[in-house]
Amino acid sequence: MATTTAAVTLTSDLLSDNMSVSATTTCMKAGTTADGLDGMEYGYLDLVTGDEYDLIGATPTASKASKLYLKNHSTDETYFIAITQNAQAIGKLYGGDWMFIPADFHDAAGDIAITANGGTNKICYALFHEGITLVTT
Amino acid sequence: MATTATVSISSDIAPGFGGISESMTLTQAGSLVDIDSTSGFQIRKLSAAAAVDLITMTAEIVEPKDSVAAKIYIRNIGYKGVIDKSVGVTIGVNAEPIGKLYGGDWMMMPLTCIDADDITADPSPSDDTVVLEYVMFYEEA
Repeated sequence: MATTTAAVTLTSDLLSDNMSVSATTTCMKAGTTADGLDGMEYGYLDLVTGDEYDLIGATPTASKASKLYLKNHSTDETYFIAITQNAQAIGKLYGGDWMFIPADFHDAAGDIAITANGGTNKICYALFHEGITLVTT
Repeated sequence: MATTATVSISSDIAPGFGGISESMTLTQAGSLVDIDSTSGFQIRKLSAAAAVDLITMTAEIVEPKDSVAAKIYIRNIGYKGVIDKSVGVTIGVNAEPIGKLYGGDWMMMPLTCIDADDITADPSPSDDTVVLEYVMFYEEA
């Protein structure tokens, strides 16, 4: 079985006592305990301003247990990428920010789209999935 | 100390993949100033197959600023110490399903904090009892 683990440590001093949370998960196929995610896509690219782009070109199998990691590696903190899914704004990743989400890709409209702002943004992404449909030539 | 988040991902799916280890300091939009507000760390027990608001933007005591650098952490922590990988909760934004957190899974996601963009949690079709832990960090409006 392929094994993918994702761990997070979150700390904050915004509360009256320091908060520290750590969590680790093994990324399994949807609803299973015996079979891990077995596909992945990994990339590092420049994202130019002006247009909205689908981050994932092929279509991962819908409504499974895909996980998407995305980081904005821009060194200018004023640069950001705006993230949408199915025309719904999700949020913005400024230079240095990352996200890790379960990605449903519920149908053809469920692609995750990104738009660069401020200048050309450098991004790194990794999609862990359980099967994709390649786009025919 | 500020607010920081570190992610570490390892995988043997693809030969040669060296893993990912990255940290971020949560700052206000377009600046190096620390983010200044939080929902506080909370848990929510779900036991019915119906979508509920995990975060209702208009209900936050400190009003969040729209369309800046907010983030949310959510984890499915199971129920009474039992983490069940077969029990998933779909997390959504303004009724758009983002993805399903199975037992033990966590997510860190940017948010708009626009009034309509509430964060929803839906355990359907299962009505198994499951608990989510979550905390939102945002800028005060």
